[in-house]
Amino acid sequence: MSQHTEHKGERHGSHHPNYKAIYFTLLALLVVSVVGPFFGILWVTLITAFGIALVKANLVVQNFMHLRWEKRIMKWMLATSLVLMFLLFAGVAPDVMRHEGARWVNDAALAAVERGIAAPHHEGEAAAGEASGGAVTEAAAAAAAPGEQAFDAKGAFTTVCSTCHGTTGAGDGPGAGALNPKPANFGSGAFWEGKTDEELVKAIREGGASVGKSALMPAWGGLYNDAQAKALLAYIKTFKK
Amino acid sequence: MQKPIATTRSATGIPTGRLAIWWVLASEVVIFGGLLASYLMFRLGHPEWANAAAVTNTWIGAFNTFVLLSSSFTAVLAHQAAENGDGKLAAKYLMMTIAGAVTFLGVKSFEWYSEISHGYTITTNGFWSFYYTAAGLHAAHVLAGAVIMLFIAADAAKGKELQRVEYIGIYWHFVDVVWIFLFPLLYIAK
Repeated sequence: MSQHTEHKGERHGSHHPNYKAIYFTLLALLVVSVVGPFFGILWVTLITAFGIALVKANLVVQNFMHLRWEKRIMKWMLATSLVLMFLLFAGVAPDVMRHEGARWVNDAALAAVERGIAAPHHEGEAAAGEASGGAVTEAAAAAAAPGEQAFDAKGAFTTVCSTCHGTTGAGDGPGAGALNPKPANFGSGAFWEGKTDEELVKAIREGGASVGKSALMPAWGGLYNDAQAKALLAYIKTFKK
Repeated sequence: MQKPIATTRSATGIPTGRLAIWWVLASEVVIFGGLLASYLMFRLGHPEWANAAAVTNTWIGAFNTFVLLSSSFTAVLAHQAAENGDGKLAAKYLMMTIAGAVTFLGVKSFEWYSEISHGYTITTNGFWSFYYTAAGLHAAHVLAGAVIMLFIAADAAKGKELQRVEYIGIYWHFVDVVWIFLFPLLYIAK
């Protein structure tokens, strides 16, 4: 189509496709990309999130930005930028995405992954991570390292847990709206029925999925050791009615 | 005021202003593209970032996507009106686009306020560094676009420099496209 119209003279702008139809198509695609993840199937989420992003971007670029009626030199210009972006990715990604190779190991990155995913924490590794420019910043290391200091369970709950569970533990935090199933309501008697302390500490440290509950409850073992998770549980129990 | 000679000459046959805005965007592709490509490789190399990403609010992200898509729609309607010589209508659509920008930034402020008050700041960890840098750079583009659009709308209402309505529109759609990619990267991929 662009081949045909390109030679029609300089007034490329006089092409006006049905903008309303394109706009509603974009909105429909937005709905699909939001609904996709609810199926909980990885490849469906990937297609509805990133595949649809490509389709939406293409619709906007071709029709709203009028690239399809633009001269070929413009397309080559943009293609060059995109190629440079992919070159950057291809050149750097192998070093960033892999943490060990045949003759090298990125200790800092490995330590950061380990810290982040419910693993026992060692202060030495955190220090090494900072020194060699690991992906984890001082604040995260500090949060992960409280060790011997007095642990402020209420503060931790307010900072981390309340995002979804709410400041009063009723499961109504600002992040709760987006979650399905909804975050646990600690005020409800039904929540506490038949649950052992052991199981609840495990849920805090290893995530909801580790005790057969929602995988939306992340694993916080990287932030809280066993004793801290127990202190958190003790605080959470004060919401029990 | 005398116009610079470059505004009336064009070796490519493309109006100089439009060629210029495309050059800006070609460099923006590398700026945002480099940032998003870096985010992507770190995210793939660090599975633990999913714990942080789980905190972002998909509904807020989706609402802002809706706002930007709608503002792109009004921007292209402004372009169409300008081409028909109706500067007043073009200015009206541009003002609607600016309203979209203001809504977007308002929602973003609320979102960041809530996240920062929960202790998630740019120094919390790698995910949050990228989150605030990428969304922040994008928000700066929204703000800049809205301010420039105000001047262009003022001119367009008087029927002056109507070709600029198209140029700011092309920039605005690009800002929209960047968000189309930021949305799944920061909000949907949990």
